[in-house]
Amino acid sequence: MTFAAKTRTLLTALALTALGTQMALADKISILTETPAPAAEAPADAVIVNIAKMKYETPEVTIKPGQTVTWINTEAMPHNVAFKAGVVGDAKMDGAMMKKDQSYSITFNEAGTYAYHCTPHPFMKAKVIVE
Amino acid sequence: MRASFVGAGLTCSLLALSAAWAQTPTPAEGQPPAAEAPAATTPAADAAPAATGAAPADASATSAAPAGGQTHGQRAAAEAAAALAAGEDDEPVILDAPAPNSRRVYVNDSAHFASLTQQFAIDTEEGRVIGMTDSGFLPNPVVSDDGSVYAQVSTTYSRISRGEREDYVEVFDPVTFNPVADITIPPEGHRFLVGTYPWMSALTPDNKTLLYYQFSPAPAVGVVDLEGKAFRRMLEVPDCYHIFPTAADNFFMHCRDGSLARVQFDAASDAEPQVTHSEVFHPEDEYVVNHPAYSQKSGRLVWPTYEGKIYQFDLSSGEAKALNTIEGLTEEERADNWRPGGWQLVAYHRPSNRIYMLVDQRAEWTHKTPSRHVVVINADTGERIARHELGHGIDSVAVSQDDDPLLYGLSTGAKTLYIYDAETGEELRSVNQLGHGPTVISLSDMG
Ligand SMILES: [Cu+2]
Repeated sequence: MTFAAKTRTLLTALALTALGTQMALADKISILTETPAPAAEAPADAVIVNIAKMKYETPEVTIKPGQTVTWINTEAMPHNVAFKAGVVGDAKMDGAMMKKDQSYSITFNEAGTYAYHCTPHPFMKAKVIVE
Repeated sequence: MRASFVGAGLTCSLLALSAAWAQTPTPAEGQPPAAEAPAATTPAADAAPAATGAAPADASATSAAPAGGQTHGQRAAAEAAAALAAGEDDEPVILDAPAPNSRRVYVNDSAHFASLTQQFAIDTEEGRVIGMTDSGFLPNPVVSDDGSVYAQVSTTYSRISRGEREDYVEVFDPVTFNPVADITIPPEGHRFLVGTYPWMSALTPDNKTLLYYQFSPAPAVGVVDLEGKAFRRMLEVPDCYHIFPTAADNFFMHCRDGSLARVQFDAASDAEPQVTHSEVFHPEDEYVVNHPAYSQKSGRLVWPTYEGKIYQFDLSSGEAKALNTIEGLTEEERADNWRPGGWQLVAYHRPSNRIYMLVDQRAEWTHKTPSRHVVVINADTGERIARHELGHGIDSVAVSQDDDPLLYGLSTGAKTLYIYDAETGEELRSVNQLGHGPTVISLSDMG
């Protein structure tokens, strides 16, 4: 699979967004690809959260450590998945913007509740529960 | 931050020299010819009348209104010439501005998103700039109703527009324009960077607390203790915007769902704020503008839609009491494509309970272009009192809160504040060269 080759740790992703910020929480989550992938390439075993009409369609998903959640944007309005400071690391984490029919996948490695939002639409909120 | 009047003394000296030079060869009526009384040696008694107008020699900013068609510059020149002729020494000083009054306005120039910006304090009775302050990126000015607090929530970067970001609140003495407080906002409290909406920052009625809005990563309101000169905390709020304080611990916001939220908070503790929502007051396809008018003194909130319908609330009791919704434009006007438009497009005059709204004939979705007219409306009945043609494309409107008010029309394009008689709509005077793209007028309701 090409996904494995493209897999990046959170540290890499954050280094790109936060330029040199030292992150101690590299293993809470892993980001499958830094840039959004075509929706059709979502990992077969991922839990899918569709985005439509300015909402995450499943506002709460519960998974096991090591499982992957894939978000798929189904509308033209771009959306992303973002975490406030302290949720997946000391700094905030803003995922890449997904255009229509693009996906973004995150593997959650540690138990916990991960609240997220869409960066330009802070009223879009949801969470991933890992237990 | 800055002494606005440095150099004023020097300017006066130059004016005095040039004015004296220009006037020496021309004897004033009824005076002896110049040859008999050379300027360089003329005693004060002879020279003073030559400085036509005989304005008082006191060139302070509090001097009386221009008389006899003299501009401020001409008057200053005459005064300086008189002083020079009288042998008065030029003693440059840093001037104070006159005490704030109900006809002082602050014009905020956000300079089309430039990194560094300016505010102009203007005496609109005189039509004079009486002070200036500098600030950073998209500052939000706040002025207390008693005129005692003039502050800005601002943002600077270590390398002009890049590097480390610092947000802060700066409070100025409204007479000397020296900063009296500089309060750093920590990174988690960084404010909403947006084209200046006056009600994205606000003072509580006791002037002790400044509240400002944070959009990202989640809606929140920052609490800054002006009295203790310290940032206090962030309040998590629902998906709501703008801040209309009604008490030391209470403010209202407007929410995405079309309701108002009442937020009660404790600045000193970590307790979650208490939030209650009003009924949804406008449908989803009715868009309310970004610049509502709010009279903190009366608690009246005046909120037009894109089509000129005006929602009103009385917040004074600490509960959101809906008042009558009125139409700012007549049926005929609406049929004829009249719509509100501009930046700060509505003003409310508390003593007379009147609404002033910028309107013009315009296509839908041109709601941020300037307007050439202002309609005057009885806020209670919705009755049309007047529609004044302003003679300029006006982006922002405001009205002084005294009993015989001045109407202010700010043109972002002309960078000029036009000052009108609010009753007749007659243009009285104007102040030009107000930065690069001035948009917001702030003033005090001192009545
Ligand atoms: Cu979004």
